[in-house]
Amino acid sequence: MKPIEGVMTQTNAPRGIDPDSLFFVQVDATKCEACGTCEEHCATGAIQSINEEGIHQVVDPAACMNCGQCLVNCPYDAIYEGVSYVDEIFEKLKDPNTIVVSMPAPAVRYGLGECFGAPTGTYVGGQMHAALRQLGFNYIWDNEFTADVTIMEEGTELIQRVKEQGQKDARPLPQFTSCCPGWVKFAETFYPDLLPNMSSCKSPIGMLGPLAKTYGAEETHTPAQKIYTVSIMPCIAKKYEGMRPEMADSGFRDIDATIDTRELAYMIKTAGIDFNALPSQGPDPILGDSTGAATIFGNSGGVMEAALRLAYEVLSGQKLNNPDIKVVRTHEGINTADVKVPNFGTVKVAVASGLQNAAKLCDEVRAGKSPYHFIEIMTCPGGCVNGGGQPVDPEIRASLFRSTVAQINKRFRARRVGA
Amino acid sequence: MKLNRRGFIKACGFMAGYTVLGLNMTKVAVAATMDFVGLRQKSVYDADAKIYKIRKSQDNPMIKKLYNREDGFLHEGPCGHMSHHLLHTHYVDRSSRVTALKEKGYKFNF
Repeated sequence: MKPIEGVMTQTNAPRGIDPDSLFFVQVDATKCEACGTCEEHCATGAIQSINEEGIHQVVDPAACMNCGQCLVNCPYDAIYEGVSYVDEIFEKLKDPNTIVVSMPAPAVRYGLGECFGAPTGTYVGGQMHAALRQLGFNYIWDNEFTADVTIMEEGTELIQRVKEQGQKDARPLPQFTSCCPGWVKFAETFYPDLLPNMSSCKSPIGMLGPLAKTYGAEETHTPAQKIYTVSIMPCIAKKYEGMRPEMADSGFRDIDATIDTRELAYMIKTAGIDFNALPSQGPDPILGDSTGAATIFGNSGGVMEAALRLAYEVLSGQKLNNPDIKVVRTHEGINTADVKVPNFGTVKVAVASGLQNAAKLCDEVRAGKSPYHFIEIMTCPGGCVNGGGQPVDPEIRASLFRSTVAQINKRFRARRVGA
Repeated sequence: MKLNRRGFIKACGFMAGYTVLGLNMTKVAVAATMDFVGLRQKSVYDADAKIYKIRKSQDNPMIKKLYNREDGFLHEGPCGHMSHHLLHTHYVDRSSRVTALKEKGYKFNF
């Protein structure tokens, strides 16, 4: 175990293991103060008190969606990460026979700067690309490019589903987004009857892995077997997604390693790179260039807005002059909107972040009462920018007030147990 | 440090207050976390509006190259044959393990 940006992390690189058997987050019982904050933030109830002292544990990986909200909200740094590929990536970067490809998610560039002293949310996309180049990545490809691909695929799928209603074997509406790996596992675990409503599209990183080893290999004349793909995410659940056995459509493992924003910051610091002195650089072409529609994937409501920027133009045949579709932007809770599309009618959409909110929308669909065409779900409140792999809010650990409240609650509960 | 009588009573007052208000205080703390998230969200929308020159996926020249009808890698267009092979997936019913845990007496929220 080593500390990575304030979070204890086991560095190992599991391969060929069923990810359902791994704990991606777990509580260090020696550090747990039994405050119960993790339990408040866990939607499924996978993390719970295991003894009379109130020490918490993730009781079974099957019930854990790997979102890491418990970890980023623990005031005592008692929750550790169970899987980390950083050591292996350093080795691959040194190996001249391996072509190492970077694949950073949109939200990473809104969190990474915080690890180097920048104010919360500072955009550091250009410096991030420069840092990846200095670390020795051979291709600076960007997951934002496949966020654009996702819009093309998922938007087209939505339009197909709307048009085929009433026909035999029509795929059902509403269509759920499938970008968020915590949400995908949640649907598979708790709402398997709704899987026909899930978009069949892989997430952006699920698309960039196989594209890098087929299209990218072809365009750069690189033997695909030499390519090692590194997914860089604001998210812990993406480590699970990368290990899914079916993610091997390129003929190889599509995603060789997954790290989060904190681990990228650790790698930059370990390599001795002065992040704040880096120039702003762009990604490499072919699989690098992206748009505003791709970058908003980091926010709750972003995939919806990006998809509507496509759907509006395809369904109406008209140009969308102002791409801002602010009604779907969601800070917390559930947001619903009717979007009027000329020559088509009304597109009814819902956006939710947090799995408790997702469950409400799922129950509606299950009861056959859902009026929506398209539903976006993100596991983390607010979206990926608040992912379990992002730098930890300094307030949570630094606030004496908050930890005092937690300690008093602990004593209060302990007394209640004894009485 | 020696605690005098006045200090002791003050501390007791704080303790009692925190105990009673604990729940509300936690809610306040959660709201503060959302402000932190709000800062990151705002930065995302600012970048979309100001930094990215192209704002729609279909206008990305590299997307146009990928889906080019003549020589694009995905020349059949979105949701074509190659797309379905590389970019689409299927899902697995994972409910049985949680059901088994529930039968053993574990309680979960759904």
